[in-house]
Amino acid sequence: MIPDFDVIIVGSGPAGVSAAFPLVEAGLKVLMVDGGKRPDIQPPEMDFLSARINDAEQWKWMVGKDFHALKMRDAVSPKLRVPSHAFAFDGFERSNKIEGKDFISVGSLATGGLSNSWGCGVARFSATEIAKFPFSASELELSYRRVSQRMGISGRANDDLSDYFGLDEDAQPAIPMDMLHTHLSQHYLNHRKKLNSQGFRLGRSRVAVLSEDMSGRQACNLSGNCLWGCQRHSLYSAVDDLPELYKYENFTKISGFVVDDLTRCDRYWSVSGQNTLSNERKTITANKVVLAAGTLATTRIVLKALDYRDTVPVLSCPTAAFLLWLPRLLGAPRLPGFGLGQLSFALALYDNITAFGSTFATTGIPLSEFARHVPLRRRYSIDLLRGLLSSCVVGNIFLPGHLTVAGAKLGRDESLVISGKYDDKVMPLMNEAAKKVRKAYWRLGGMLLPGSFTVGRPGGDIHYAGTLPMRESSVVGETSPLGEVKGMDGVYVVDGACLPVLPEKSHTLTIMANADRIGRQLVVLKI
Amino acid sequence: MKIVVTGANGYVGTRLITIGDKHGHVIVVASRQPPIIQENLWIPFDIYKANLIELPSGTDAIVHLAANTLLANNTDKKSEINAAVNLIKAAKEVGAKFIFVSSQTARSDAPTAYGRTKWRIEQEVLSAGGWVVRPGQVYGGELRGLFGTLVSTVRRLPLLPAFIPAPKVQPIHVDDLAEGLLRIAERGDVPPDVYCLAAVAPVSFSILLDTIAKSRLRCWRGFLPVPVLVINALTFILGEKFRTRLGLERLQSLFNLPVMETRPDLNQLGLELRPLRSGMHPSGNDRRRRLLREGQAMLGYILKERPGSAVLRRYIRVIEQLRGGQALDLPKLFLGYPIFLSLLDESSWTNKITSAEYLWRLDAATVLAEATPVGAYRFLGRGHGVLYSLFSMTHAVLCEVCWRISRMLFSPLVRLTLSQEKGIL
Ligand SMILES: Cc1cc2nc3c(=O)[nH]c(=O)nc-3n(C[C@H](O)[C@H](O)[C@H](O)COP(=O)(O)OP(=O)(O)OC[C@H]3O[C@@H](n4cnc5c(N)ncnc54)[C@H](O)[C@@H]3O)c2cc1C
Repeated sequence: MIPDFDVIIVGSGPAGVSAAFPLVEAGLKVLMVDGGKRPDIQPPEMDFLSARINDAEQWKWMVGKDFHALKMRDAVSPKLRVPSHAFAFDGFERSNKIEGKDFISVGSLATGGLSNSWGCGVARFSATEIAKFPFSASELELSYRRVSQRMGISGRANDDLSDYFGLDEDAQPAIPMDMLHTHLSQHYLNHRKKLNSQGFRLGRSRVAVLSEDMSGRQACNLSGNCLWGCQRHSLYSAVDDLPELYKYENFTKISGFVVDDLTRCDRYWSVSGQNTLSNERKTITANKVVLAAGTLATTRIVLKALDYRDTVPVLSCPTAAFLLWLPRLLGAPRLPGFGLGQLSFALALYDNITAFGSTFATTGIPLSEFARHVPLRRRYSIDLLRGLLSSCVVGNIFLPGHLTVAGAKLGRDESLVISGKYDDKVMPLMNEAAKKVRKAYWRLGGMLLPGSFTVGRPGGDIHYAGTLPMRESSVVGETSPLGEVKGMDGVYVVDGACLPVLPEKSHTLTIMANADRIGRQLVVLKI
Repeated sequence: MKIVVTGANGYVGTRLITIGDKHGHVIVVASRQPPIIQENLWIPFDIYKANLIELPSGTDAIVHLAANTLLANNTDKKSEINAAVNLIKAAKEVGAKFIFVSSQTARSDAPTAYGRTKWRIEQEVLSAGGWVVRPGQVYGGELRGLFGTLVSTVRRLPLLPAFIPAPKVQPIHVDDLAEGLLRIAERGDVPPDVYCLAAVAPVSFSILLDTIAKSRLRCWRGFLPVPVLVINALTFILGEKFRTRLGLERLQSLFNLPVMETRPDLNQLGLELRPLRSGMHPSGNDRRRRLLREGQAMLGYILKERPGSAVLRRYIRVIEQLRGGQALDLPKLFLGYPIFLSLLDESSWTNKITSAEYLWRLDAATVLAEATPVGAYRFLGRGHGVLYSLFSMTHAVLCEVCWRISRMLFSPLVRLTLSQEKGIL
């Protein structure tokens, strides 16, 4: 029997497309399948502020014709309430039979996966972090460069975080900062020594957002629509890589094919699943299968195929958010501007733990997101925030992923149950972080608003990893240095599931680089 | 279906025809006089000359509503029973369901001839395998029947009697009754039996009158305690003529109504009765109007100005699509002066569910209000400079302090009004 394809890639997110390029370029017959969800709501056409003042129909993209924002009232992130992003999260848990117990489990069935809605933060892992991978750092080096150049990164700056991010050689200049962030960074220069000695380093955020046009995508024009959807495609999404892949005749894609089973037949693998349009079951065969369905979905597919019933670990970064007020800029006008991370910081905490965070403008975020948390009567919390928010920035903060103690287990009904909580160290660490953030930003002219520092719920980071970690010598439930599943020769995990560590910094770039690395090595192996 | 209705020109009959038409049935009117607007088929029918009634072929059901409420003498009683027996026979001949609308007073030992006659007919119907419906106090819609009398009494009298001990009634809106009758006619899974259709929980007669005043007539009426004993004495002393003119007889039959167990029957028919206050509204359903007022208050409170109609409609749609569609019943004070919503917070409500629902709706109103051009000004501000921002922030905090103090002072009062509002439902 001849299999239908050389390789089937499950998933068209950042991991899937990164693995696809080397395989397709080498002439292999590649099939990519995904959940096929597509956007159905147009993002605003004007810049955010003009649209707010002029567009009588703004509720359609702010709330949604089906009142999506209200239905998702209790979701963790404002993004999950944005109607134009609904497609990215829609139906994931149901179709993939994933269930979070006291744990937020988010995933995507969209073409392009979660990168349709991500925050675009990028970073390389440090040498120490890569030392925990079962291969040498140099193996990842080329892949890091390749994917960085392909996706387009901005934020190049010779600053205190250059080494932390390690991306400047492939980055475009930074997108202009708004008044508030300019103010913060100027003050930082004056107090740099002191702050560094306290373990606080500040620099431009490195983001996968264009500041210069690149391959059909346009540079950011500060429209302020980052949260709502960028018409210019300045923000990287894996969808933007598909046209390039389609150019190859040996590349095929089927959208709306939800994989739920892998079985061995002879020397091949057959991948079966449900066509979401016709509701028919379908089985396709290939020599090799590359799993890039996102950490949680991939984990379930593997555990189910292995019939593995023990708990596997889940890494996930504890998070917190805070609001910072710059009194000197009280009354600043609302101006359009970039809506994703503008400045980032790395903060040394006790026990050699580093926290990472970024700060954002508040303009593009609905005020109702804040008003809910202000302990004032609603009418007056709006009055207060309307005066206050234009001189505020919001910040987030991440701790390393091993500080969430979580696990995933295949239940009797074949659903994957994720449960877990923060390690006991997290609360003391967060308290320390809050104290240090308050102190550091005080020097920069910012005031951490009392009561605003809020620790998120476990799983709220949506950075899941490490369920099937790559090991030098793997046992069942782990993967080889190539991501090959122990007990399933020819099946490779290339997404977050195979990362052996999850530091506090953005991990998607590393997922992509690792997928690229595995893709290249598969080509070599084949030859 | 083809449904014959006797007494079709009466209070319940007219509604039954309208709603039956809406359900897509062919309604045949059986009455003494042909209907004025001849939209429906007509066959002549008179209780006193019902010996030979012939039902149109293909009749699926007959709803027998025609009745004489006065029953002056024995002949009347007899002919009424006779008419029913004849109708039952006629129904059998064409194989139609027989549905008889009886009365809450039907009992073998009822104090009135009316109640006893109804009981006799019920027996005939049941033994012939027919259906009996005992409605509670029918209200709503046109001012006819006992309901019409009550409304005009409330309109005329500035002071209403609050009888002691308070008699209890179980209301049912005329449209809900019509719907129930149609369901019996339409459905195959409702076995022949006696069906009691009325509100599950009896309400006191004074509340019925009060609701007529407030919701139907939009007026306020005071209540004067009147011991039932006095009425009984009056009935005895006054002559027959006065008794009838004052409607005392009818009143008296109210005082010894048996409480009906209606829950199982309503469930059997899948019938959901509208709340009294909603049904008492002239439109027969003021649910939407109340939602509108709630939306006006909530959005007005957030926006500090009257909300536009588009955002109001959205608020109503949200509550209808996501929250079951019932208004929260905010007291008038809050509906008229939204600023007083500042007095409400979690602790104001006696019940946790309502409290959570209120907060949900406040959030929804905030989100909806923000997503409008007016909301953009209200929420974003326009960058007014340091002084303006400082002023508006200080103002906000001062207002907050004032309202906190007021809330503390008025909290028992607020809680009382909120819990009372719920009680009327
Ligand atoms: C709000 C938000 C902000 C974020 N911000 C950042 C950030 O700033 N920096 C960062 O590094 N990361 C961020 N992330 C995380 C980042 O989006 C993910 O790490 C990244 O998208 C993972 O890529 P992936 O290809 O592994 O999986 P996904 O992007 O989840 O893609 C999964 C793919 O698999 C397909 N699929 C799923 N199940 C099946 C199935 N059963 N059968 C077939 N196909 C299937 C889907 O259709 C999709 O194409 C953020 C995420 C969110 C939600």
